[in-house]
Amino acid sequence: MAHKHSISRRHFLQMSALTGVGLTAFAMNSRLAFAQTAAPNPLPAAPAPGPIDLKAAGGMDALIEAAKKEAALSTIALPDDWANYGQMKKEFLAKYTFLKHNDLNPDGSSGDEVEAIKANAGNKGPQNPDVIDVGFIWGQLAKGQSLLQPYKVATWDTIPDALKDKDGYYYGNYYGTMAFEVNTAAVKNVPQDWSDLLKPEYKGQIAISGDPTSASQAIHAVWASSIGNGSAVDDAMPGLEFFKKLAESGNLVPVVASPAGVAKGETPIALRWDYNALSNRDANKDTVEIAVVYPKSGSIAGVYLNGISAYAPRPYAARLWQEYVYSDAGQLTFLNGYAKPVRFDDLQKRAVIPAELAAKLPKADIKVAFPTVEQISKVLDAIKTGWPSIVGVKFNK
Amino acid sequence: MAQTIDIASAPLLGVRRSRPPRPILRLSLTLLGVLPFFIFVLAFQFFPAFSIVTRTFARNSDGTFTLDNIISLNTPLIIGAYVTTTQISLITSILGGAIGFVLACAITIGGLPAWIKGGILSFSGVASNFAGVPLVFAFTSTLGRLGVLTDFLKTAGINLYPNFTLYGFWGLCIVYLYFQIPLMVLILVPAIDSLKKEWREASENLGGTRFHYWRYVALPILFPSIVGTVALLFGNAFGTQATAYALVGGGAGQNMVVTLLVTAQFSTDSLANPGLGNALAFGMIVVMAFTILIYTYCRRISMRWLAR
Amino acid sequence: MIHRQSLWSWLCLAFILLYFFVPLYATFQFSLQAKRGQLGFTAYQNIFSAPDFSNSFLFSFQTALLTIAISMVLIIPTAYWVNLKLTWLRPIVEFLTLIPFVIPAVIVAFGLIRAYNRTLLTDSGEGVYVLLVGAYVSLSFPYMYRAVDTGLQAINVRTLTEAAQSLGASWIAILVRVIFPNIFRAVLTGAFITFAIAMGEFTIASLLSQPAFGPYMAATAARKVYEPSALAIVSFGLTWLCIAGVQILTRRNRGGRVPTALIR
Repeated sequence: MAHKHSISRRHFLQMSALTGVGLTAFAMNSRLAFAQTAAPNPLPAAPAPGPIDLKAAGGMDALIEAAKKEAALSTIALPDDWANYGQMKKEFLAKYTFLKHNDLNPDGSSGDEVEAIKANAGNKGPQNPDVIDVGFIWGQLAKGQSLLQPYKVATWDTIPDALKDKDGYYYGNYYGTMAFEVNTAAVKNVPQDWSDLLKPEYKGQIAISGDPTSASQAIHAVWASSIGNGSAVDDAMPGLEFFKKLAESGNLVPVVASPAGVAKGETPIALRWDYNALSNRDANKDTVEIAVVYPKSGSIAGVYLNGISAYAPRPYAARLWQEYVYSDAGQLTFLNGYAKPVRFDDLQKRAVIPAELAAKLPKADIKVAFPTVEQISKVLDAIKTGWPSIVGVKFNK
Repeated sequence: MAQTIDIASAPLLGVRRSRPPRPILRLSLTLLGVLPFFIFVLAFQFFPAFSIVTRTFARNSDGTFTLDNIISLNTPLIIGAYVTTTQISLITSILGGAIGFVLACAITIGGLPAWIKGGILSFSGVASNFAGVPLVFAFTSTLGRLGVLTDFLKTAGINLYPNFTLYGFWGLCIVYLYFQIPLMVLILVPAIDSLKKEWREASENLGGTRFHYWRYVALPILFPSIVGTVALLFGNAFGTQATAYALVGGGAGQNMVVTLLVTAQFSTDSLANPGLGNALAFGMIVVMAFTILIYTYCRRISMRWLAR
Repeated sequence: MIHRQSLWSWLCLAFILLYFFVPLYATFQFSLQAKRGQLGFTAYQNIFSAPDFSNSFLFSFQTALLTIAISMVLIIPTAYWVNLKLTWLRPIVEFLTLIPFVIPAVIVAFGLIRAYNRTLLTDSGEGVYVLLVGAYVSLSFPYMYRAVDTGLQAINVRTLTEAAQSLGASWIAILVRVIFPNIFRAVLTGAFITFAIAMGEFTIASLLSQPAFGPYMAATAARKVYEPSALAIVSFGLTWLCIAGVQILTRRNRGGRVPTALIR
């Protein structure tokens, strides 16, 4: 490559122009990048929260009018086959046809949802979720980080006190029990208890539904195994040890247990909520046999919470959604998906549950623990920090 | 060109002034042509990459310079992920390189009919694109627990499961090979094609056998191409996300593959530290830049003999 | 000697092709098993009739077309000027177009989201879509630039330009009416590859929460048993069509290189 020793004036000018642009861009970049870094974590101030209940909103019609102006709703992490959310979404949208639905990240975890609020705070776009449905643990967390705004639905008084935040920031909507979902075509001896899972015949067959550092369902799988191994409710160590053994023996595979995975037989034993397992069983009853087993030594119940994001760009549409979910119709939709709605006792008292629906509900006569909020945060921390170092590294080969 | 052009009646095609513009104006006119491209690259490539790099070295709380984020990469989980990803990338790049090289030789100088070469090249083009989610579907249908091949081997008496699992280290390697081998073939076939017949004849004229030809002429010439492409394959495997995510993503798979660790930073921040996410991304950029440097260097050397 | 050599080649070929074709065959067979006990195209019927399929397919399709258009508008003038006047810029431009190989898709998405957070670009669906298209255009640069560059080098750019200029054409007229028709085939090559990339892209689309075809395929995997295999076959067929298109277009040059795309 011969080097030109004399650069023409034109070339020189062009090069300096480009260098000039480049340097300005460099400087701009650094300043912009550092500017964003200088305040990376403090979230922008949340907008003023909306009305606290229907009365403050001026009644249902006023709510609908306000929602019409927003014309959209962003939900997050609501898979169609989870607690019958598919039907819930369909019925809600059929009722309020003026709302465009943004179904964000259906396979997201509770951790994903909280992160999404933080990451999108201040954005008005459709990827900013308006409502979240998270595991019980995360409600307290989100409230503590000022990520929620309070709203008390019309049926507020019929929600049990233990399952709601007294200020209305979050409240339970349904719960289930951790169970084994087993593909009986692929697994001849259906495991009945936690200790069975360690048997060598189940090598490479067991999966949990996500990452226990962020997915509520996966965290509870670990927790339930703790209870099943005889520990106190707030002790997660036996569970972590149990999963360490599962990973080491190769029984546990690092795959996310999915409905299709079980039905196909790829991960024939999955640790999932009983309502998910039961819906999957029904959905695939023509092609495969799925058994739902409640482990004999005990399990845990997991409550899921609803909350409205403090940064929701469409707060009135969010309130409309909440009202629907907590109405009789909404709660019965959950029950149809085998998820025990939080207003179950109230529905039963008023005898609004159809007979055939009541008949198909499963009976689980095992010891089921219902943890308190303090126990939850203690265990959450233990599993979040313990999992990567105790179990997670076992998957490296 | 006997036609004469009458300026007055020439079709008006946006006639510009006929006097040549002054140098400054010409400078801006030509640069203006390429400016959109540069602005675009700046906005969509440089700025994001730059912000990752700067934020890696910025403290979370106040933005002052720090190496803490890089140091915080030193946890067993992250180191494990880097090690495992490097292992997978090494294995698939070397194995893929070897197999790809053999295939490339077979179709160019292996005495096979010409249509096979064209067919294989087309197929390689498709196969190297067939990565990500559909590829994983294909392999679960083949080697999954209920895969076609698994069943077939079962009838032949070989039980793959439970000792083997597609959703693990070796599963990743097997799936990655599917796009590594074609890439090797696509890049190496032109190189082998450029081996001049005269060199082979010269070697034989001097009394050399096939072994001598390969050992002293062909392989030394091809060596930079091979090494460079293997480096490219390494980078390819290191940076792949779609395939890894489809196979082991969403759960504990992030402990095995660095790209999945970065993906987790997106949503979960499960490691609860934005600076760490940036540091992870920065680490990946460093590795990739290194491999591309090797590739470019080798390519330059190989051009000496194989200039097309 | 040739005989023995080609026998060995045939064997190698056979073994390696087994590795490549068995998964395809297995996928196809699996996709036919949707109805218990019999082979049929139920899975295909299911996916083609699903509204999500057409929505995500159309979304990716229009994104692909938009990407190709923008990429052409950016690359063709740049390559033209680099070839014609700014030849000293060539190594720089080539380097810039190779950056997508250095920075993997996941880092691109990560960087874009973090860099442009809380700006106009994330404030609306349209804004995030701009980010998506921008990322795809960057991904297309290596192939578009190489294709256009090859095309430009095959024609005599200088002569054509001077001829057009002497007839009084403006720069835009030169590009649109003289250069572009002559490099049309080359551009089409780049366009096909870009199309294949944009249709199959998963990483950036899913991390930017866009309803593209890639995330749709992944979501189906979690829900349905047989449909994912059918989708894989459809996706493979689509990619094959694109590459076949490229092959037909480049048939004129013997030993024409088939471009590689790295979706990974």
